[in-house]
Amino acid sequence: MSRLLLIAGLAVWPAFGDAADFAHEVVPILRKHCADCHTGDKKKGGFSMNTRATFLEGGENGAVLVPRAAARSRLLEHVTTTDPDLRMPPKGPRLSPAEVGVLRAWVDEGVAWADGFAFQQPAYEAPLRPRRLELPAAKAGREHPLDRVLDAWVAAKGVPTPVPAADSAFLRRAHLDVIGLLPTAEEAAAFAADKRTDKRARLVRALLDRDVDYADHWMVFWNDLLRNDYAGTGYIDGGRKQISDWLYISLLTNKPYDQFARELVAPSADSEGFAKGIVWRGAVSAGQVPELQYSQSVSQTFLGINMKCASCHDSFVDRWKLRDAYGLAAIYAERPMELVRCDIPTGKPAAAAWPYPELGQVDGAKPRPERLAQLAALVTHPENGRFQRTIVNRLWQRLMGRGIVHPTDAMDTPPWNQDLLDVLANRLVEAKYDLKAVMEFIATSEAYQARAEILARDADDKAYVYRGPRAKRLTAEQFVDAVWRLTGTTPARIELKVPRVAPAAAGVRKPIVEPLLAAAIWSGDVAGGRVPAAGEARSFRRQLTLAADVETAVCVVTCDNGFELYINGKRVGEGDDWTEPKSFDLGPVLLKGVNQIVVVGRNAGQGPNPAALFLQADVGLKGGARVRLATDASWEWSASLPNARGAFVAAKGKAKDAGPVWAPVALVRGEAWRRAESRMAEMRAGVAGLSSMPARAGLTRSDLLQRALGRPNREQIVSARPNELSTLEAIDLANGQALAGLLTAGAARIKQRAWATPEAMVHWLYLSALSREPSAAERSVAVGLLGADCSEQSIADLLWAVCMLPEFQTIR
Amino acid sequence: MNSPSPLDPSLPEPLARREFLRQLALAGVATLSMGAPRLLADKTSAAPAATADACILIWLAGGMAAPETFDPKRYAPYEKGMSYERLLSTFPAIPTSVDGVRICEGLEEIAQVMDRGTLIRSAVQPDLGSILHSRHQFHWHTGYVPPQTVACPHLGAWMARVLGPRNPVMPAFINIGQRLEGVGESEELKAFTTAGFLGGEFGPMNLPFPEEAAAAVRPPKGMDANRFVNRDREFRRLVDAGPDRALLGDHQQQSMLRSMDNAYRLLSAKERASFDISLETKEVQQAYDTGRFGRGCLLARRLVENGARFVEVTTEYVPFFQWDTHGKGHETVAKLHAEIDRPIARLIRDLEERGLLDRTLVIIASEFSRDAMIEGRPGSAAKDQSFNKAGVMTNPDHYGLHRHFTGGTSVVMFGGGVRKGHVHGATADERPLVAIKDPVTISDMHATIFRAMGISPKTAFDVEGRPFYATEDGKGVPIPIFRG
Repeated sequence: MSRLLLIAGLAVWPAFGDAADFAHEVVPILRKHCADCHTGDKKKGGFSMNTRATFLEGGENGAVLVPRAAARSRLLEHVTTTDPDLRMPPKGPRLSPAEVGVLRAWVDEGVAWADGFAFQQPAYEAPLRPRRLELPAAKAGREHPLDRVLDAWVAAKGVPTPVPAADSAFLRRAHLDVIGLLPTAEEAAAFAADKRTDKRARLVRALLDRDVDYADHWMVFWNDLLRNDYAGTGYIDGGRKQISDWLYISLLTNKPYDQFARELVAPSADSEGFAKGIVWRGAVSAGQVPELQYSQSVSQTFLGINMKCASCHDSFVDRWKLRDAYGLAAIYAERPMELVRCDIPTGKPAAAAWPYPELGQVDGAKPRPERLAQLAALVTHPENGRFQRTIVNRLWQRLMGRGIVHPTDAMDTPPWNQDLLDVLANRLVEAKYDLKAVMEFIATSEAYQARAEILARDADDKAYVYRGPRAKRLTAEQFVDAVWRLTGTTPARIELKVPRVAPAAAGVRKPIVEPLLAAAIWSGDVAGGRVPAAGEARSFRRQLTLAADVETAVCVVTCDNGFELYINGKRVGEGDDWTEPKSFDLGPVLLKGVNQIVVVGRNAGQGPNPAALFLQADVGLKGGARVRLATDASWEWSASLPNARGAFVAAKGKAKDAGPVWAPVALVRGEAWRRAESRMAEMRAGVAGLSSMPARAGLTRSDLLQRALGRPNREQIVSARPNELSTLEAIDLANGQALAGLLTAGAARIKQRAWATPEAMVHWLYLSALSREPSAAERSVAVGLLGADCSEQSIADLLWAVCMLPEFQTIR
Repeated sequence: MNSPSPLDPSLPEPLARREFLRQLALAGVATLSMGAPRLLADKTSAAPAATADACILIWLAGGMAAPETFDPKRYAPYEKGMSYERLLSTFPAIPTSVDGVRICEGLEEIAQVMDRGTLIRSAVQPDLGSILHSRHQFHWHTGYVPPQTVACPHLGAWMARVLGPRNPVMPAFINIGQRLEGVGESEELKAFTTAGFLGGEFGPMNLPFPEEAAAAVRPPKGMDANRFVNRDREFRRLVDAGPDRALLGDHQQQSMLRSMDNAYRLLSAKERASFDISLETKEVQQAYDTGRFGRGCLLARRLVENGARFVEVTTEYVPFFQWDTHGKGHETVAKLHAEIDRPIARLIRDLEERGLLDRTLVIIASEFSRDAMIEGRPGSAAKDQSFNKAGVMTNPDHYGLHRHFTGGTSVVMFGGGVRKGHVHGATADERPLVAIKDPVTISDMHATIFRAMGISPKTAFDVEGRPFYATEDGKGVPIPIFRG
């Protein structure tokens, strides 16, 4: 209104004679009778009066008025007719004869309009092409392109620059965002101890390099977005096809995103499940036939366009029309299609077309494979900035908690910062569509590493104001993975047959399953029947000579009760829960030639009790040869222990030859280790040692707990899960048997481990669950809960209480 | 009954903090949940004055044949070699407490309470081609024909979202008797047993086994009440001991704590007892106990007495079981009569006795009817799904209504402001038994139910930029079955 008054105030239109005064006469009439359905974002019948251009364009049934010919203009017919089906407005009072007279005069005068006037400013038109931009100058030495854009933005808005997050918060956030897993207590301690100034950037890279963990985690996001699941409507009767294998390998090998999209838009047999959609039994509405599902899925997933409205009728809320939805459908269709409006055939044929002809067009006369290839090329066209912006906005939302365009499926909505979006999109192109590179770009910015925003209750009532990353709720899968890991209840294997192997081996569909070669060993001095003492520590060693460079190398280790593994003077890792074997990627540490493997095994417990070490490594060499190393009688032991780098240095003042004494190990046996042994075999078979998790919730079928925590039924595209915990979910967390069972089993396991004090257990739990040490106040509450005897019940209750903390359930 | 209830005095007193959070919760969970779809105020017509506060949907899943229940037609007893053409009803008609209104033999108890409600005989459904139960059930429960591009909310979720809980302690939407895991078409059932885009807060609390409902609001197995409460108290202390004080004011954190609090509130409130049907006298338990369904009716009554907003209780959908009679129709329906007759009649009488019937709308419905000859609608191309394809009956197993029929279905409504002893609509007396008077579509049926509950069918939410209405596109007109 204010705009209208402004223009009227300039008095641009002379009002003389019988000529209608647009501002003073015509506009009020249109506002009074027509505006509810035909201005702003309302386009009933596809007709908008917003601007003169849309007025003249007309609606679904063609032109509404003919300038200088009111008698031939439907506008006048509609406002004067007595036919209830044609009358406008359809309800409420009719136009008075005087009002009709004004409109008639206005049309006959040539439809005068005020320059620049619109009933409502036209909706934001998202730019299509990529956009180069000059970065603002860096402030306070913050050189990262994202920070340069954001620092300029906060300065202009007078908003405070978000302050850096603590290392512990960053560590937890980066782990959960990149690989979906909590950092272990060991990882948390190591990161805290790391004094290097670039340790955050190093961590991001290291996490992105954990290919299996990364693929496991991102399966969840992509399954949601591509409507892929492992069971559900349509899978049984052939109405739906999984793309799990294709998707997993694409993530594992970090397939460039343009290629990824092309393989979905113009699919092969492996990836066609996305394009095929869901074929429902029986009759479905015209807007839900597979061809239109394709139209909707391709436009929503890759372009952030909502074609759902337009699949049935010209959209009332954006610019997409029935013919646009059918245009994409016709590219995919193997039959001629007819435009059907709200289930009533229109008689008009659908023409193959995609929505941005300025970049080129699909040739509808070509056979389908060529049409699809053309569409795939257009979707991923280097000049299609829409495609680039859509995915970088999704990644920003995943990492920063809120899209630059929000919601992420509505890319026609104005971004709160166009430059930010374009810097990211340009980065994607520079990195040749490498999604990990974009994530690294985001995660190494000061912006990502800042403290999460403290959310005010009305935070979303007004326009979004950037105040740092927003907290995200753990997905159902992240929550379950975290509980599995904390409680040591991770299932031994995944149901899904995806190759959780090194990317180079992804082509080999199933890892080779072989019996475990590793034998239980301990120091030779147990051969006479001596039982190892509690707290006894032994060094074990073996040389491994490799004839060629290493291609893949994985190793699985466990020791009753704990171990540290050193290779070639580097500490590779450790474990202190013998029931949970650990696996390590030895690719970076093993060399061509002679390698020194040293393991320190430690016994625990109250008095003498059996102890044993198991280790098996599988090494693939360049050229294809495979080498296996396993604990057996060829290993040696010593009572001397190495230094922190795994080297044996003579104590000061002693002669050089007084080094450790090595002797052959003894093979030992014990029923109790059966489970650990079978677990090691499974880990080798299933994980090939590349992940510390033998199974991930995101690779299992949905169950009651995951469903209760918001894992969706994947019949519709889901691009963001709810951030809120509902009451029903809370009831499940409070008394559901599934969670209670995991916590009870976990408590028993934790109880078995050798804890010096209850404080040590609390310390471990906080480090494992929250990646930080407990405060004194927290420690006191937690130790109080554990009580004097640290019963299994009290451990289970503490586990529950920590898992219920909002701090645990969110990524801050 | 509509006021928040004091906590169970047998449990230790919770923290004062909880009291504070309770006030927040009462302020309305919906307005606090960010990211939830926006109610389109301008799309909401003035809500009709409610004639009911609570709703019980008795769902006879699988296709309840109207001519075998509430709309008897010419009875033909079994004779070897008889033609299907002769067969309209396999049960003779019996009188009811309403003059001139007859229903099928086997429903004698319900016959005696028919004067408390309205019998709709002209409900119609579309023929969705392949007459797949779960798709028609989706349509009946959400008002929308599947598939849809957004996740559609169940009728109960609409009530939970628009009306909220009747008693803030009680879940607003409770679903009794349907297993959602391990039964055929379970994924399809889950697709509509949901709050969809309205968000999980408004979704169903699922209680597949009425006799185990008490466990759903009890501490987990092996945990006594003291430990359960203590665990929560220690949890609160850990929250309060957190080092980041600023987080205590964070909206998302508060919202999570509020949900935890709501959960614990139910799990320690006296309303918890309403989930436990074993607290009823032996006489009452026996009166209802014809099986899982009967016990479900008793549970529904207890939940409504304690402030539940919407309760669905079903005979359960399992493909080819219960009302999904593709063979042995007569024999099966005789058993089903016995399963539903006593508990439904007793539920109506109990609600009436407690003064609750007037403000509780009880609906008996099913996804479609059945016929001995016609699959779908007259002229439908749907594949015949009867086990027996012959034209004559050679075996008593063939005696029954084994085809899905969408042309005329019965729905009964009791209480909640509907007329008493009234019949709306009619079907033909000779095949095809289609609705010949006042047909009621699913949109009309939903508009009627929403009208009773005081919800405008044009109530809409903004979903992905489009308005999404309580009935399909806001259509549907309440049928004239209301008193006064």
